[in-house]
Amino acid sequence: MQKVKRRINWKRELKFIPGYLVVGGYVALTAVMLFWIFGASLSTAKEIFKGEVLKFASGFHFENYATAWQAQNVSVFFGNSLLYSVASCAGVLLIAAPAAYVLNRWRFVGSRAIRYGLVIAMSVPAIMIIMPLYSLAVRWGIKGRILLIVLYIFLRVPYTAIYLTDFFATLSRSYEEAAAIDGCTPAKTFWVVMLPLIQPAVITVTIFNFLSVWNEFFMALIFTSSESMTPVGVGLLQLVNSMKYSGNYGALFAAVIIVFLPTFVLYLFMSRRIISGVTAGGVKG
Amino acid sequence: MRKNKAMIACFIAPTVICLLAMYVYPVCRTILMSFFHVESLTSDVSAWSFNGVENYVNIFHNAGFQISMRNFLLIWLVGGAITLAISLLMAVILTSGIRLQGFFRAAIYLPNIVSAVALATMWVQYIFNYDYGLLNNLLQMLGLEKFRWLGTDAKFWAMLAAFIFGSVGYYMLIYISGIEGIPTDLYEAATIDGAKKVRQFFSITLPLLRGIIKTTIIFWSINATTFYLWSKLFSPVQTESSTIVPVVYLYDTVFGGKGVVTRDAGAGAAVGVVLTLIIIAVYLVASRLLKSDDLEY
Repeated sequence: MQKVKRRINWKRELKFIPGYLVVGGYVALTAVMLFWIFGASLSTAKEIFKGEVLKFASGFHFENYATAWQAQNVSVFFGNSLLYSVASCAGVLLIAAPAAYVLNRWRFVGSRAIRYGLVIAMSVPAIMIIMPLYSLAVRWGIKGRILLIVLYIFLRVPYTAIYLTDFFATLSRSYEEAAAIDGCTPAKTFWVVMLPLIQPAVITVTIFNFLSVWNEFFMALIFTSSESMTPVGVGLLQLVNSMKYSGNYGALFAAVIIVFLPTFVLYLFMSRRIISGVTAGGVKG
Repeated sequence: MRKNKAMIACFIAPTVICLLAMYVYPVCRTILMSFFHVESLTSDVSAWSFNGVENYVNIFHNAGFQISMRNFLLIWLVGGAITLAISLLMAVILTSGIRLQGFFRAAIYLPNIVSAVALATMWVQYIFNYDYGLLNNLLQMLGLEKFRWLGTDAKFWAMLAAFIFGSVGYYMLIYISGIEGIPTDLYEAATIDGAKKVRQFFSITLPLLRGIIKTTIIFWSINATTFYLWSKLFSPVQTESSTIVPVVYLYDTVFGGKGVVTRDAGAGAAVGVVLTLIIIAVYLVASRLLKSDDLEY
């Protein structure tokens, strides 16, 4: 993006008006939606149904957030999702980064097969794997949070390994030679020298892993067997379903905002990095 | 560099285990299961009984599956055409020299970042709400009758519209990166020759984006085939024929749902295989029809 300030040439801008209308309208709808939801999260159910959401006639009802957080268990869902996201981001790196490194540096028995396997695994639809995984988990008696953490780690390994492989390719082999001369073992060289060198790529891939685990829904729905391991997506669905009986719409919208905020805030700070990461590497013409 | 076999083995082993445990074994077992009569998902292999292609015959004769396939085709074709067209339009607008490009890109991509459950809840509980929703407010302002957006007739299209709205940003970013790869002197030459913007789009942009369009068609197909979340959020408690899609049908058949008399894991596996074959077929057809010709420019 250019930082150079252009003088506004009104005649020139005039021909862009249809364009502005299209993208502006799109963004405006998003903005109205978010604004209203935020307003509703601070209103009572009565006000919402009367259509007086942004008047705040009876003040700001921050207690909606307290209700959602405590009484409706959003704190549990939130904590679980945070645990799943953080633990799997770390676990994925531990597994995928070493693999990406050796796949880039050496040819060995099966290295081509592993590479192809990773690429294919990225596009295997979840429906093809969940059924056997479910029966495995039941037969081996694996349940609770650890089950989803392991599944999420394995789910993100192919993408992460492929993504990082390309970045190790940019590193010169002289780093390893220098480290070897200094008496560093190859394994130690990887953790201490090579991995820190691709830190920007590690950060980007971790952001994507975090977003994808935080927003994952299908596996969470299938493998969640108790309230204590429910992540935000499934928890929110349960809240919506129970809303018919409790009628506390203010708290529902507060829950929506709570679920929405973490990735939104991440995006506010990282949007440029995320946007350039979406199309980097993966897409070819 | 010396090859350190022990280190390579240690470094690659966890990934190999992951591939085998998470992908190879489950995919093989699912394919195998689709040819057997398997009542309960957790039953032992010894309790399976081989029944050839009967699972496939059964699902294609099942009314629920037929409706879900019809809905899937609508999502794939209608939704795909609209989404890719809007995304391309947005991409062209945002590469035309408009101001605030960075902001617009980020804002339009935003729905892809936030939890889709939260997003779908916003649409169901606000935009389409009958009593206080945005659309009905607009209708009333225009002096028109309120409309039941989530009634049986309109629900599918309401769901599709919300899904399209959330999907556009991703494909837009892909198209933008494609358009930015086209050398600007092509457009300059065309302008000198007197070609209008529309002509330039159809004669330069579109042909040169063929490879990218192929990629987006494949991505969209995967997306449409695995469509699940929006259907679930638009019919959260009970599966409805207006919003049922193959994955919802699969879930209900395997894990039980309202209206499912007997669970049938074998049939569920068959649905999974059919969907995967669809993705592979789209991939092969798209690669054949839209050869990128390895254009050099």
